[in-house]
Amino acid sequence: MIQPSFPGGTHPPGHKTATADARSEICPLPAELVIPLAQHVGAPALPCVTAGQWVARGQLVGRANGFVSVPVHASTSGLVTAVEPRPHPCGADLPAVVLQPDGADTWADEYQKQSFHVLSVEAMLERIREAGVVGMGGAAFPTHVKLDPPQGKVIDTVIVNAVECEPWLTADRRVLLEQTEKVLTGLEILQEISGADHAYIGLEDNQPDVARLLAPHCQKRGIGLAVLPTKYPQGAERQLIYAVTGRRVPARGLPMDVGVLVQNVGTIAALTDAVTRGRPLIERMVTISGPAVVRPQNLRVRIGTPVAHLLEHCGVTEEPAMVILGGPMMGSAQHTPAVPVVRGTSGVLAFRRQDLPTTTAGPCVRCGRCVNACPMNLQPTFIADFARRDELELAERFAARNCIECGSCSFICPANIPLVQSIRYAKGAILARRRRI
Amino acid sequence: MKSLLLIMVGAVFVNNFVLARFLGLCPFLGVSKKVETALGMGMAVTFVMVVASACTWLLQYLVLTPFNLDYLQTIAFILVIATLVQMVEMIVRKSSPVLYQSLGIFLPLITTNCAVLGLAVLNIQRNYSFVQSLVFAFGAALGFTLAMVLYAGLRERLTLCPVPRIFRGTPIELITAGLLALAFMGFAGLVPN
Amino acid sequence: MMAAVICLGSLGFVAALLLGMAARRFAVTVDPRQVALMDILAGANCGACGFPGCDAYARALVAGTAKPDLCRPGGAETLKRIATILGVAVTERPPQIAVVRCQGDLQHARLKYAYQGLQDCRAAQKLARGPKLCPAGCLGLGSCVQHCPFDALAIDSRGLAMVNRSRCTGCGLCVTICPRQVLALAPANETIHVLCNNRESSARVKSYCNAGCLGCRLCVRTAPESFVMDSFLAKVRYGYGEPSTMAEAIARCPHHCILNLDEQGNNQTLPTPHSVRERSTP
Repeated sequence: MIQPSFPGGTHPPGHKTATADARSEICPLPAELVIPLAQHVGAPALPCVTAGQWVARGQLVGRANGFVSVPVHASTSGLVTAVEPRPHPCGADLPAVVLQPDGADTWADEYQKQSFHVLSVEAMLERIREAGVVGMGGAAFPTHVKLDPPQGKVIDTVIVNAVECEPWLTADRRVLLEQTEKVLTGLEILQEISGADHAYIGLEDNQPDVARLLAPHCQKRGIGLAVLPTKYPQGAERQLIYAVTGRRVPARGLPMDVGVLVQNVGTIAALTDAVTRGRPLIERMVTISGPAVVRPQNLRVRIGTPVAHLLEHCGVTEEPAMVILGGPMMGSAQHTPAVPVVRGTSGVLAFRRQDLPTTTAGPCVRCGRCVNACPMNLQPTFIADFARRDELELAERFAARNCIECGSCSFICPANIPLVQSIRYAKGAILARRRRI
Repeated sequence: MKSLLLIMVGAVFVNNFVLARFLGLCPFLGVSKKVETALGMGMAVTFVMVVASACTWLLQYLVLTPFNLDYLQTIAFILVIATLVQMVEMIVRKSSPVLYQSLGIFLPLITTNCAVLGLAVLNIQRNYSFVQSLVFAFGAALGFTLAMVLYAGLRERLTLCPVPRIFRGTPIELITAGLLALAFMGFAGLVPN
Repeated sequence: MMAAVICLGSLGFVAALLLGMAARRFAVTVDPRQVALMDILAGANCGACGFPGCDAYARALVAGTAKPDLCRPGGAETLKRIATILGVAVTERPPQIAVVRCQGDLQHARLKYAYQGLQDCRAAQKLARGPKLCPAGCLGLGSCVQHCPFDALAIDSRGLAMVNRSRCTGCGLCVTICPRQVLALAPANETIHVLCNNRESSARVKSYCNAGCLGCRLCVRTAPESFVMDSFLAKVRYGYGEPSTMAEAIARCPHHCILNLDEQGNNQTLPTPHSVRERSTP
């Protein structure tokens, strides 16, 4: 069967070989953990511990603040030394619980492994919410919100997002290879909660070994295995849904509008732990890679581990000129290595000075490559120009708000124009103006 | 029928009022910042041109020629056109505020427009019949609108372009207008005058 | 000769008759107050009143749906005349002027990262909350300069926004444009301002910048009636206090962030340099 592919897209070099085939290791605990209270989309959690208090591993340190919010837990046992603003991957200093590990790593409660079949849907959702599970592909949207669609929306298909289209990153791949059973159980849980009849695992064809590994499992359980031609941004929800099912999510709509639920591999693994063992999300797979890293590898990292500790553990050839959290296409460069790994951090990439682009932005040469590359069928060059001149009406008419900020246009632009930044600005300005009026 | 078609094509493309005859340059440069306003102006001009050419044709052949007053042509035509435009403005303003919002603001600009007067004079010079003069007026107005919209589109694009500093603003706009006129020269000779 | 006179005369007469009839028949009444208001309003179409242009504001005024004191560029004079036309009583508001509350140039303020990208403060602010370590400092990319309808703002040689006090009308557009609220409106006759916008504690401010308000309260202790504290940021109580005690407070400020703009004539009073103006026009 020939899979339909989404329009546009680019083919950035993969750089995945360095970390793809090595087994993941457990990252040793750092001297200090910084656990931000805002690690998700929505209201930040409210701290419920004070400085000087001893906390156990998995103990609640921040309560959820509202429906679109999740609790935050201690990643290990130790002493809370402060609750104060600390550097956060978003660039600002935000409130965080600072934890000094005591090395004992004692769990708060002993959890009994339990089959999910005995639990009701509400109980499962409650467990997922209490465990603080959020989308681990990068967006960090609370999973329990996504699993609890408003009345009248019927989900008939669940898709596991194992595409990992960002260069360098292999964390999802390692989760899928090492925790296959967990992911497959999680998929069953998802089907149980959402009532979906169909399930797919979306993969790119640059991982034939994973496809071979999964094929018998999928056959046995009646899961569709969609091996898609490698293209960025295949991992974006809309693009993946179109590539797998051929359904188009409306421009301002959500995947649930076409009856689809997409979850990242890492999220599903975390969700299984939450439901079957009651374990909160305190650890995640992180790819540490990049030209400046001596031993690139995948690590199972406690949430709140400072990036500096990870780089020290893997070794750097020199002081990295740029450290990016997430992938190189959509991740964000950090101004200090003191920022911690949060729930949405899929990778830590370190680059040397010579790896960074030196060319400055030139004038648009009207080649139209950005228009061809845009997976949302937009005209990035025009929207960017409108944004630069503050012609927000025109930008809106050119559907600036449909942009998914995948960065394909900026990547492909031969003149190095910061297209996606301009469009992001336009999006923000349009929304701000709308709020004002 | 064929002659009417020739008159039409000739007026729209070959002897375009703006780009080949260089009539009506003031609105061409003045009201062409945006395609929308250019289109509004074009529509207003179309309306006025057709009505004015009908009135002036009647005036010429019912009043001026019978009384041997051809030398009063220019002043009489200006009078008629100005009155006409003023009246149209009043009527539109009263009867359709919406139309007035989109079209009315352009009407005063047309009052003494050389393109309209030039059209009326050309009608007489070429000995067109009443129907021919109406077709010629419509074609000329269509050509005017075409030139306006094309130029406005170019100007919209121009604002996005990194123009060398000394060319910014009016200079590059005039160069663009010149290039557009050059392009229209490609139609030359398609229809005998 | 006679024929020409009669012909043109009658033509003109007919035209006049027609126009006269049309004028009567198709007369449209416009509130004369609206026309009068249009003459009075500043005509800058700056949008500070919240309406799309002066025309719309005039219409809203006549309709009674807008307050008469919204035209800030026009100031007190316009307000008075609007009130006369509309026949309402209004209280005068002192004229205001924009103040750039930041002195954190590259000599004083530390950078978070080297910014390359769109030359627009609001776009830069979206990238890890701005390239300056201080979350309240002027980014100096000139969004306010580009939007000022009165050409009263510029980026000075230190890379900070500056207000041309003679051109500023206090319309407040820059205040809404600035993503970090560096600009604020202050009474136009006041010359002493605290040129810092950071409410954080002294330790944090010190880690950002050598020219920020530390919240040390020295000024409040020296001139208690002239200064108040807003969290860790000193503020001038405009219209209160003695010049002599204020001068003492200015002298005692450890980071020199209280300034008398009259004495420091070079600050925020320079005419707009031409180069900045050119960048803002397409």
